[in-house]
Order: sequence, then C-alpha cells, then structure tokens
Amino acid sequence: MLGAGKFGTPAQDLDDLTTHFYASRKHAEPHRVLVEAQPENENENQSNDPKNYATFDFNKILKDEGGEDEKPDPNKPYTLGPKISDWDEQRGEWLKRNPNFPNFIRENKPRVLLVTGSSPKPCENPVGDHYLLKSIKNKIDYCRLHGIEIFYNMALLDAEMAGFWAKLPLIRKLLLSHPEVEFLWWMDSDAMFTDMAFELPWERYKDVNLVMHGWNEMVYDQKNWIGLNTGSFLLRNNQWALDLLDAWAPMGPKGKIRDEAGKILTRELKGRPVFEADDQSAMVYLLATQRDTWGNKVYLESGYYLHGYWGILVDKYEEMIENYHPGFGDHRWPLVTHFVGCKPCGKFGDYPVEKCLKQMDRAFNFGDNQVLQIYGFTHKSLASRRVKRVRNETGNPLEAKDDLGLMHPAFKAVKVSTSS
Amino acid sequence: MIPRGRQIHKTFNNIKITILCGFVTILVLRGTIGIGNLSSSEADAVNQNLIEETNRVLAEIRSDKDPDDPADSTDEPQFLSLNDTYTLGPKIVGWDQQRKVWLSQNPEFPSSVNGKPRILLLTGSPPNPCDNPIGDHYLLKAVKNKIDYCRIHGIEIVYNMAHLDKELAGYWAKLPMIRRLMLSHPEVEWIWWMDSDAMFTDMVFEVPLSKYSNHNLVIHGYPDLLFEQKSWIALNTGSFLFRNCQWSLDLLDTWAPMGPKGPIREEAGKVLTANLKGRPAFEADDQSALIYLLLSQKEKWMDKVYVENQYYLHGYWLGLVERYEEMIEKYHPGLGDERWPFVTHFVGCKPCGSYGDYPVEQCLKSMERAFNFADNQVLKFYGFGHRGLLSPKIKRIANETATPLEYMDQVDIRRPVHGDESSGSSETKS
Repeated sequence: MLGAGKFGTPAQDLDDLTTHFYASRKHAEPHRVLVEAQPENENENQSNDPKNYATFDFNKILKDEGGEDEKPDPNKPYTLGPKISDWDEQRGEWLKRNPNFPNFIRENKPRVLLVTGSSPKPCENPVGDHYLLKSIKNKIDYCRLHGIEIFYNMALLDAEMAGFWAKLPLIRKLLLSHPEVEFLWWMDSDAMFTDMAFELPWERYKDVNLVMHGWNEMVYDQKNWIGLNTGSFLLRNNQWALDLLDAWAPMGPKGKIRDEAGKILTRELKGRPVFEADDQSAMVYLLATQRDTWGNKVYLESGYYLHGYWGILVDKYEEMIENYHPGFGDHRWPLVTHFVGCKPCGKFGDYPVEKCLKQMDRAFNFGDNQVLQIYGFTHKSLASRRVKRVRNETGNPLEAKDDLGLMHPAFKAVKVSTSS
Repeated sequence: MIPRGRQIHKTFNNIKITILCGFVTILVLRGTIGIGNLSSSEADAVNQNLIEETNRVLAEIRSDKDPDDPADSTDEPQFLSLNDTYTLGPKIVGWDQQRKVWLSQNPEFPSSVNGKPRILLLTGSPPNPCDNPIGDHYLLKAVKNKIDYCRIHGIEIVYNMAHLDKELAGYWAKLPMIRRLMLSHPEVEWIWWMDSDAMFTDMVFEVPLSKYSNHNLVIHGYPDLLFEQKSWIALNTGSFLFRNCQWSLDLLDTWAPMGPKGPIREEAGKVLTANLKGRPAFEADDQSALIYLLLSQKEKWMDKVYVENQYYLHGYWLGLVERYEEMIEKYHPGLGDERWPFVTHFVGCKPCGSYGDYPVEQCLKSMERAFNFADNQVLKFYGFGHRGLLSPKIKRIANETATPLEYMDQVDIRRPVHGDESSGSSETKS
C-alpha cells in the first residue's frame, strides 16, 4: 500500500511546502521540471568534485561586464540605422571594384547567404543545445551541397529588438556588410532541410525582392496572421530591401511600442491571439495595408515548402519514402520542415515535449539519409541514431552509383572558364 | 488518591504515548497522502505526470538505447578477435591516376578554386546528446566558430554525427570517414580533420599549403619529442591535413589495425604504453598508434610527413588562454603562432562527458574566452565586439554610417587591405 519510496524525507516535505506557497508561479513548474530532471539522477558524492560537469553551475561562467546597453533616446522614433538612399549605387560600385566577389556565381545562380542563429547562453531545456547542434549540421549539409554560405548568429545587435525581432538589425547589417551577397536567406533555428536535392528556382524570382511561403488570398484578402511565414524567407540585397526593413521595424522595439502594436495587430489580423507584436504579423499587416508600395516585388510562394509546417508533414515521411523521391520540395518531399511552436531551446513550448523532440529526430534523419546515401549509408530507421551500410565498398569508388546526383551536383559546379 | 508523583509520571506516560501515536499517524499519512496533497491535489497529479513524462522522454533521448537495437541487445557485443584482420575497405590501387582522370573529365569540379587548393574540413561529435547539457552548448559554439573561419576562407565543412563503422568508434571514427570522403570527393585536394574541442582563434591566418607541395600529411608536433624521446604526445591528431592521394589511403590502411574495439584495441594499448614515453595504460588511441607507426616505419613514411610547429595548427589551451588580453594589446591576427594562436585545442576538458582532466570552471571559462576571442575577430567586421572575453553581450566599436562599405573595406579579412599591408592580412599568404 505504501511502498518504501513514499516515506519522504523532511527535505522533501519542505520542498512540497515551499512549492505550494509559491503556487502562483505556475509557469515555473515546467521550468523546474526540465532543470531538476538532470541533477536528480546524479550521485550526491559528486557534488564537491571540481572536475564533475554534472554538478557545475554554469552561471558562474558568464560575466555581464563592461558597459551598459545603449540607451535609446525616448524622443526619437526607433531606426535600424542611418538612412541610406543610394545603396544600389554604392553596391554596384563595390561589385565593379571587386570582380573576385561576383554576386552571381553562375548564370541564374545568385550568391546566397543563409542566416540563422541562437542565444549565446545555454538553452534552458537540457537537450535544447543538442537539437540546435543537429539543426545546424542539417543546414551545413544542405548549404554545402548547394554552394550556399552560412552565417550563424549568436550576438544580440540591438537590445531593443530582442526576440523574434532580432533578425531585422542583423539582416540589415549583413546586407550592408556583404555587397557580394545577392540573396539573404533567413532561416529559423527550429527549421530543418528535408529535401537535400531541391534547388530553389532562382529564375522564378529574378524580378522580385522578397520571397516568403504563403498565399496571396490569405494575406491580402483575409489578412490572416499566418498567411505567410517569416521563419524562412529570401531577401534580395538592394535599396528596396533596406526600405522594407525600415518600414517593418517600427512595431518591434520592446516595451510599450511592441505591446501597443500587438493590440493593433490582434485587432486587424484574422485569427491572431493576444500577445505583443511579432515580426510575422507585422509583415502581414504591412503588406496588406501597403500593397501598392511593396506588393509587386513580393512573391508569396506556395509551390513548394520554403517553410513547411511540421504538424502536417512529419507523420508522412514513410509514405513519402515509399512513393516519391527527393527533389520535389513540395508536399511529396518537403524542402523545409519547420517546427513552429516546439521551442526546443526554451522552457516549454506549445506542444508536448515528446512529440516535438521525437519528430525533430525523425525529420533530421529523413534529411540526413539523403546525405548519408551519397556515402553508401542510411539510418536504420527514422527514429534511430545508428546507421547501416546500403552500398558495398568497392575497389572502384569513382564508379559508385550516385542516385540522387548529390555527390557532384550541377548546382555546385563552378564556371568552367574560371581564371585562377 | 494517587500520589502526585505517580500522577505526574502517568501524565508523562500519556503524553509520550500520545506523541508516539501522533508520530505514527503522521508517518502513515505522509506515506499515503503526503503533506503536499493537502491542497490542489488534482493539479499536482497533472504536474507530477508532466514531470515524470518529461523526465522519461529526456532520459530516453539522452540514453544510448536505440529503438533499432535488437531486442536481445543485452548480449555481449561481438568484438573482432586477435586473429581477425580488420580493413577499412577493399584495397584501392592507382588512386592518383584515377583521380587525375576524373578531374580531367570533370572540369567543373576542379581541385583548385581561385588559385587555392580545395580543402574540406571534417569534424564531428557523437549522435547522442552529451552526458551533460553544457557539453552540447560548447559543441554548438565550436561549430559556429568553424563555420565562421571556413566561410571567410572558402573551406567546406562536413560535420559527421554517424558511426560509419562500429568497430572504429570513438576517436578512431575519423579514419573511415576520412577515407570515405577522399574517395567520394576527388575534387578535394586536402582533408583537414579537426576535433570538436578545438577552436580557431586566428581568423586571418591561412595554412601555408605551398610549404607542403612535397608532403601528404601535415601534423603539429615536435621532431625531437618524436624521434628522440618517442613521446606519446610528440604529435597531435586533433588537427591535421591529409592530401587526397594513394599515399594517404595506404597510411590509413596501416594506421587502422590497432583501432577495432575489444581485445585488439586493448592489446594494442599495451604495446603502445610499452613503447611510447609517458603513455598511461589504456586502450589504443589513434594518436599513439600513429606515432608508433611513424616511428617503427620511419623510412617508409616520414619523408612525406611534415611535422609542423612554426604555428599552432594545434595549440594546447593551457598557457594560451590566459594570455589573450596580452595578445590583444601587443599583437594582431594573422600570426598563427604563440603571439596569436591559430587553433586553441581544449585537450582533456571533455565537456561532452561527465568528467574531465581539469576543473570544470577552468575549462569552461577558458573555452568561453577562446570562443569570444575568436568571435571578436568576426564581429569586428560588422563593427561590434564582446564587452569582455567572458561576456555574451556585445558593444559597438564602430558607428553606423550611411556609407558602410568604407569601414568594411578597412577591416575585410578576405581581401588584401587597400593601402595598409601591416594589419589584417596574413603574413604567410600563399
């Protein structure tokens, strides 16, 4: 009836009591859950050993030293930086002077910089950093196959634009620092590539400056807050982009501005819950209310999953493997599976931990299989970390079958007449 | 009439019995109900379930158990016996010729780009989460560090998280992967292995490949430690370059046999401990095995091995990290040596495991400092820098302007700096 385990200790009693006195801190519960999960497993004897990682308090390491956050002038409206009006000219000049850094690698192949990032502090969730690591490996693989460079950001450039808004100052800074980059591809850290063979249809975008996954009707007609997704989008490096960023930013500064803006967005956009202004809703609002200014240079892409909501994709991977093959990028074989709402680095998300993490493993393996097959291997199953050989080694490695054409893909080829 | 003394005694007894009964009652109640359940027991039950569920999920993710292990996986693992011969794969012959032919047939995949031989940086970590979360955080920072260096220098990265060969797990896992990449990528001229606990700390310095046109293996070490003392740390296999050629394939084949885990690796470990100076007793590791191999087959291999110590292709962290502030004051990036180390390698820290060879605080602080020291060299390009070597926050070091390219031209690592030869450019650019 009782079990020895139920005879608690006075320490446990004290714990129980203090928890209940702090019952109002409900949101702290999951946090305690995820933090305590680790030390409870450890032996008490280790607590004094300086070489033991398990019992070390990381807060002793980071020092918030030297200097204050820049204090914004309350009388001046927020700006991302000094206004630039001749960026196309400045950039054009620079490109002429630097022929070794062309903005097009080949005809129809623009130079692309993929930008992603995460916090410089460890995740609150004990496995969060592991999933960030897998996510960046996944991006490294896709980008290596497609000749795309990566910038992994871990710095908060502007304290006022923290959280999901942090990408704006970063994007502006990168565009201005890398005139050789033709397209900047922002991608959230919780999004993974699941089609390693799909190359973006660059010619389709030759006359537009911003490509996002979404639907025209949902944005312009319905003003639906999820009519487009800013977790994965392309922005061309030109004056138009700088102007767009300037028009997008004003709802971002944290505090009163962001809260008030949030109320406007909830009121004006369909289906939006109540919370502070986020960059995605602000973009929907901006496009819907200023279509004439921006619309003709924005492409809302729904022909393939530039962003693919994980909820409708992850259960179908086995079916896809059976019926299709990489290279479609769409519902048959999604380019990107985006784990919206999972927040693996945070304390808690919108979905149960188990579902999120297990599905992220599956998505990772689904993508990884396409890379491993180049080398003759595959995961034993979509849930397994172990790999098995699917192609025997031979004495003639250069004759190996390269089914997906990923060993030496056309989109990676350099121009034949390159001067050294 | 009961005497007063006895009355008091009886009262005391009653009190004792009452207290005893009360104590037992409380014990029983705690056992069945628990003090905590005096209020909101339903919410607690849900919370308790959440806690248990989350613990279970996390424990599962962090264990080494795999859903695809056979049900009877408690059996002893099958190790190669001492009589078995292990090979990395079928013997390849004539690789140099095969490669040459392939390159001539595939001009769109040349082995040099913009005058620089194509390099592929190989690194990796185990597929499981680290024994403790901070390990994964530093793996993430280390890979960002490598992404930054490689982007600036046009090097491709392969981050391996798969054990291609269950015999050669652990530090030996790099051998099958190096071979696999060489054979699949004839367009790659050099494969650069780098440990996950090594970080680039000189973002400007480039490996002087022209120095090695007659060599096939570039590795950091000291010839006297190697040939005279036969020390087990004469060379470091945490950061080395292999040319993609037949010689390298042959060396890998000769290197691998001490690797298979189980009795082979154990016995080999004993041989290595017996023959190399200072080596503790443990199973064979790839570094000791390579040293032993190069010593015992010196005439066959050493003429193509470049033992490099003019710059820190591998830089042992102790002795370097404390001096970063001094370096910032006196020197500049591009030197690659003890004045501004190319690579800082955290040998012995083992943040992905449970225990290291050094105090945790010292290791983590040092790793954070190295990361920020390197990151400053990247952030400088964007007009920012860390507030301190232990601070995650950054500060502006250059004002935003309406002509950003002027600033950028002065600090761009990738291009020769206009009109200013002393700062920024590497002194050993080929």
